[in-house]
Amino acid sequence: MVDDGQKPSVHKDFHGALSFGLAFVESQYGEEGMAEFLESLADSVYAPLVRDIRAGGLAALEEYWRKVFEWEEGDVDIALEDGVLTLAVNRCPAIAHMKEYGYAIAPHFCEHTRIVNEAICRAAGYAASVEYDQDAGRCTQTFRRAEA
Amino acid sequence: MISCTDFIWVYSELFKFLEARGGEAKVIEFWRGISDEFLTNLREYVAEDGLKGMFRYWSHTLGEEGGRHHMTLYDDMFVIDMHDCPSAKKIFRDGRVEPYPKYCEHCRWLYPPLLEEFGYEVDYHVLDCEKGACRLTVRKPPGVMTPDDKAQ
Repeated sequence: MVDDGQKPSVHKDFHGALSFGLAFVESQYGEEGMAEFLESLADSVYAPLVRDIRAGGLAALEEYWRKVFEWEEGDVDIALEDGVLTLAVNRCPAIAHMKEYGYAIAPHFCEHTRIVNEAICRAAGYAASVEYDQDAGRCTQTFRRAEA
Repeated sequence: MISCTDFIWVYSELFKFLEARGGEAKVIEFWRGISDEFLTNLREYVAEDGLKGMFRYWSHTLGEEGGRHHMTLYDDMFVIDMHDCPSAKKIFRDGRVEPYPKYCEHCRWLYPPLLEEFGYEVDYHVLDCEKGACRLTVRKPPGVMTPDDKAQ
């Protein structure tokens, strides 16, 4: 999706800005408004990723996540086995950066992972789930083909 | 996790969402919130070191974000000449999302009000939004106390 052979600019303060933005949306429009905004990203920002998953399946999504966590220098174990892609995030780079630099972490920050993953997968014919511990900065994300 | 490498597009989409829900006033309210509540690190740099603090702050952020620019630090003035803004490039030239037309306005609401609180005169001019060209000029007015006086 973003593979032009070059590492993109990595400015991790943007995690703090996203957190501030999500908290603002929730304060104005509630969790429902936050979810509506995040779900819409599957049709805009993540439309290229949706296309890649439709064309290349979970292998395309695995490739995407490997690059993201390499750029972000996150601690993650990624496995694609028996039609299930699993990300065991041992140290979330977003949470780690915000803690290190004292940025406020939105109360439902990690919900964005669930909502965006589900929206992307829904658009591509797949299903996603996540279990997270926001305070610890850990989560397990799974992806599989949606049941017909 | 939304990667920080995707953030600029998400940011632009957020502006569009807020404008659709609450009009331009809601977008500006959000930008003012960022200036007042989020940019604590810039505020600390300026409070501690005045114009030199601005130079240090933007050396870090613009260094990480990429793009092409020139910063000039005088004894009484700090200038950023942005020739090729990395954010504007993503928004207006990558074609990944429909651009928020007033995207570049966020800098006008984020930075000048914050810097003016410290006694500076600030001009922000967008020269060409789609080409990512703008100029931020911060002047220490004669006879006005600013953090530079403490830092000397």
